[in-house]
Amino acid sequence: MTDATGVPTTAVAPATVGPVRLELPALTGMSRIARITGTAVAAMAGFTMDEIDDINVMISEVMVALLEHGAWSDIEVTFDVGDGRFTVRGSADIEDFDLDDPDLALCRTVLAAVSTSHGIEGTSVRADIWASLQQQKP
Amino acid sequence: MDSNRNFLTLTTSDDGVLVIAGDIDMAGGPILEDAMLAREAELTAAGGGDVILDLSDVHFIDSSGLRTLLAATRRAAGRGGSLELRWIGPEIIRLFEITGTMAQFTIASRRD
Repeated sequence: MTDATGVPTTAVAPATVGPVRLELPALTGMSRIARITGTAVAAMAGFTMDEIDDINVMISEVMVALLEHGAWSDIEVTFDVGDGRFTVRGSADIEDFDLDDPDLALCRTVLAAVSTSHGIEGTSVRADIWASLQQQKP
Repeated sequence: MDSNRNFLTLTTSDDGVLVIAGDIDMAGGPILEDAMLAREAELTAAGGGDVILDLSDVHFIDSSGLRTLLAATRRAAGRGGSLELRWIGPEIIRLFEITGTMAQFTIASRRD
């Protein structure tokens, strides 16, 4: 790729992307919509393919936790990149959110492995789950 | 109409191998589960045998999909058989390693 004078240019990824917000109906197929959007945000910010693979799993685990353990209400998902860190945050209404549920423990195990940090927080009516991945320096 | 229909496609080869294409996630997992239960019923009616999955065109799995596979291994063990995984890719291997579930599967072949 060259600029208007014919000099080669190098594409520079933006340091900040987002936040990009989705409001998704509580359907299992929406996990893919979230993954497609989130990985596009990560690609725009210059994350590597390996990092994007991890981000794909991160987003899916956030959706699994909110869909399986939420009240099947709409899910709000936000993606943003700042300071080389991709973050996905999801929240949904809940009725009975058991932090010790074995299926949720499996989600946490996977999140711990593919993200730099993550958290699952909740009140009696709402759950918030987030996960971040710090971009590796070249 | 099943809104999840396009997330995972399954075909059965002439020798009874379930050939899967797509993502084994919250949408694809239940489709795979139904197909495995149907195959298990066929095998039981025929006197036994192993459920074999060709995963050469599966490039994504999450913890919900993993639970689908783990449930199938438990059912297979209950029948005295196994769940055999063929052409399993690095994405799936990684999830097995992360979750410490590798030993629960019969992995016949891998792909890069």
